[in-house]
Amino acid sequence: MNQPARVLSPVPSPASARSAMERIAAQLGRAVQGKEAQAQLVVTCLVAGGHLLLEDVPGVGKTTLAEALARACGLSFARVQFTADLMPADILGAQVFHAQSATFQFRPGPLFRQLVLADELNRAPPRTQSALLEAMAQGQVSLDGATYPLPAPFTVVATQNPVDFSGTYPLPDSQLDRFMMRMSLGHPAPEVESRLLATRGGVPPLDAVESVSGPEEVASLRALAAELKLDGAVADYVVQLATATRQHGDIERGASTRAVLALGAAARAQALWESRDFVTPGDVRALLVPCWAHRVLLRSAVQGVSARDEAAHLLEEISRKVPAPR
Amino acid sequence: MRSSLRMVLRDLGAGAAFASMGVSGQLPVWTLVLYGLALVCALFGRRLFGQREKLTALLLLVVAAVLGMNVLAGSLNLVVAACAFAGLISAHRLLSHPGPATDGQVHLSGLLMVAGGAALTGELVYGLCLVAFSVLSSMSLALGVVEEAVPEGEPVPVREVMSPLAKGLAFAVAGAVAFFILFPRLNWNMMGLRASPGLGAATAGFSNTVRLGGTGNIKGNPRIVLRATLDPDPEKEELEAYWVGRTYDIFDGQEWTSIGGARGSGDWMVTLRPGSEGLVHQRVELLPAYGARTLVALETPSRLGNAAVHSQTGSRRARIQELGGGEVRFLDPGIAFSYEAYSLPPGGSGDSFQKLPSEEQDALLNLPQKLDPRVAQTAARVLNGEREPLAAARKLAAWLQRDFTYTLELGGDVEDPLADFLFERKAGHCEHFATALTLMLRTQGIRARLATGFFGGERVNDSYVVRAGDAHAWTHVLVPGRGFVTVDATPPAHRASQAAQILEDLLSFYESLEERWRSAVVDYSFRDQLDVARALVRPPRGQDDDGAPSRLPPLRAWASAFVAGAVAYFVWRRMSRFLERERPHDATRFVDAVEAQLASARLERREGEALEELDARLARERHPLSPALSPITRRYLEARFGGRPLRKGEAAELLGTLKRAIAADARRAAEEARVPRARAS
Repeated sequence: MNQPARVLSPVPSPASARSAMERIAAQLGRAVQGKEAQAQLVVTCLVAGGHLLLEDVPGVGKTTLAEALARACGLSFARVQFTADLMPADILGAQVFHAQSATFQFRPGPLFRQLVLADELNRAPPRTQSALLEAMAQGQVSLDGATYPLPAPFTVVATQNPVDFSGTYPLPDSQLDRFMMRMSLGHPAPEVESRLLATRGGVPPLDAVESVSGPEEVASLRALAAELKLDGAVADYVVQLATATRQHGDIERGASTRAVLALGAAARAQALWESRDFVTPGDVRALLVPCWAHRVLLRSAVQGVSARDEAAHLLEEISRKVPAPR
Repeated sequence: MRSSLRMVLRDLGAGAAFASMGVSGQLPVWTLVLYGLALVCALFGRRLFGQREKLTALLLLVVAAVLGMNVLAGSLNLVVAACAFAGLISAHRLLSHPGPATDGQVHLSGLLMVAGGAALTGELVYGLCLVAFSVLSSMSLALGVVEEAVPEGEPVPVREVMSPLAKGLAFAVAGAVAFFILFPRLNWNMMGLRASPGLGAATAGFSNTVRLGGTGNIKGNPRIVLRATLDPDPEKEELEAYWVGRTYDIFDGQEWTSIGGARGSGDWMVTLRPGSEGLVHQRVELLPAYGARTLVALETPSRLGNAAVHSQTGSRRARIQELGGGEVRFLDPGIAFSYEAYSLPPGGSGDSFQKLPSEEQDALLNLPQKLDPRVAQTAARVLNGEREPLAAARKLAAWLQRDFTYTLELGGDVEDPLADFLFERKAGHCEHFATALTLMLRTQGIRARLATGFFGGERVNDSYVVRAGDAHAWTHVLVPGRGFVTVDATPPAHRASQAAQILEDLLSFYESLEERWRSAVVDYSFRDQLDVARALVRPPRGQDDDGAPSRLPPLRAWASAFVAGAVAYFVWRRMSRFLERERPHDATRFVDAVEAQLASARLERREGEALEELDARLARERHPLSPALSPITRRYLEARFGGRPLRKGEAAELLGTLKRAIAADARRAAEEARVPRARAS
């Protein structure tokens, strides 16, 4: 488990918040090159207090990215490989009998870390998925009548393979809704791959990542983001977008209220990238697809990549049609 | 600049509203003067009361007290006093410091004044003032709205504004017309003392007395005072006829008067002298410009009757009364009169002289006490022994026409106007000629009197019109066996109206408009409206299957109700939409102006690209305008979504920066275009 290398002072202003977020994103860029936009999204999601769903084929750096985030932010980190036989106790922890004191003592599972990577989440049985998702929603674990708070800040980065669904338990919509953002990394550009090959020569990418922040700073960033002004017109705009998804002919189920709140929180964090202490419609539009594409259910029964692309396409169409406040 | 134009429009609108009351001619002169001064000061931007509004408002209390005393003393009508006071309130507001509240008060007082004007008069001129007020005030209000919408320092987008402004003005004019048509129906004008109709003072040349030596220019007034149809129709374009109103027999050296008082207490018909075969029948209409109550008829009137008096509330039958001097007068006031008359053929026939009372017979030879002896000497010299009345009169008339000049330029009152005319100036107008002829005949023992009325008649369609400028005076010579015969000493060329043709044409056009207006609107009374409404809802005469008359309103009533309901609904929808419309944010108006400037710089925008997205793109592309646009975009976003509104003047400052950047970019592009490119050799 990584410990923060140094404790930084709380973030006082949007300008210094931007600086801190850029520092973190730069470290992510060292681990996963050529993915600046995705790195920025990951940091936004972290600052907004949301959980991230990485959906991509194996080998593009999902795990690296999550681990790099933990290291850059100085967060305690655990990686759990979700498999078909993974039980809830494997991630939550268990009551263990202590022979000397003749009592049961709680032994925390890997979930009791500040950043948990749930690798291939869809391979675990629903019980285990539910245990994780409950912890994501509540920020605590309930076991044998006792409640154990999770460490703050607590963030889950889950991955799933979008093409190989055999023997998996696809996440239900209600559980997908718990993730603030869903994103794909995609293969790096050929020149980036060439550079990787030429420069690293097998050196683990995480070694290049330095700890440039700490849990206190992340908590401060989250507190600052939560306080940013979201004008009534922008709030109306978010609601109008949600209404448009609910009324769209090609969408079976539109954005939920949780989705509306998530988009608002994410937009607040997004505003910090511009050193702003208020949210603009542009912040909302920028995060519409990452925040909502996995939450809307299309009428067509298409699964996988094409469904996600179609959802993104519909959301972009909606953002063009719904007039933004001026 | 923009603001001053709005203020001028506002002030002119208020002036038009005041004029709508002023044209009634009933407001006290001092209120007209005060308002005029206030308006002129306001138009020149002198807001004299701007510093001490409350103190100067006390003046209004003083004015109110003066008006109240006038009302209590009975010298001023309550409605007139209220209208005058409304005008003075408006004047005070005009001279006060301009601001949103003052603007509203000026417009509100304008509305009060046009309402007051409706109470005082319903003439066409009032309608014109009302429309002027509606248009000017609407333009002022619209300009105010546009100024609110356009950020400080930005020019008004004239092209974009023109279309909605035109619609708004059309709406205002339609509203004004509707207001004018509906408002006079309230019968308020009955409360007012109508001093004179139309354009204020009476415009006809006809007057109750004839006084020589006064100044005046009645010949140039082409307003129509009389319209008549004749039977048999002479079918001439120009009628050389004498329309007599009254006659005079006593001259005191300055003024003509009549002896003899009222005869009878008023009747529906007055017979002046026995009728005969070949009478000329006339249907006469005395128009508002006439301004008197004396009936006028072709020489020689024999019978007058079937009179009707027209007021703004409708027309009614009127009684008439014969007075001295053969004058017949309406007993009731009105804005216009109509009646029928029968006249003997011109030239005089039938001798009614013997029926005249002896004092009236004697009056026909009456001479002023201080008559210049040269008058009689001159008459005797000219007549040279001629004693036959008609021949003598014609001889004297010919002499006067030959040796004397017609003029309207008089020097004012003189002690003996007749001597002044005959022996000094040797120039005068019709009254001088007629007076001279009459008195010269009397010095020779020939009975004569002065007659006044109108001469001429211009054919318009099937009727003849007589203008104020046709007012005339002439002589009646008593010829034994024939009665009074007209002899006119005025040179023939100067008997008819002397107005310029173009002025006559313009006035004719106005008169025809006014005529249509009066018949279609003013005379269309509340009773007429009710009649139309009753006719609309009256059940059809047809019977249904049971043989009983239908009690349901006819289809046209349902259709009218439907149309009225639809119009009301449409207006309500439009109005409610307009009222519920959210006022645009200051920052939104600012960003509109920014985008307008960017559009003028022909900066290509992507579909649906917001300003911040455009800014980001320009920054990526290192566009020359990016350094200027970025702070503007940032400030807009702060003002719109960040809760930090634009400071006063900041929008203009930022826009100025952008404007300069755009201009610099355009200059740079032009210079680059001028630099010749190296040609490969």
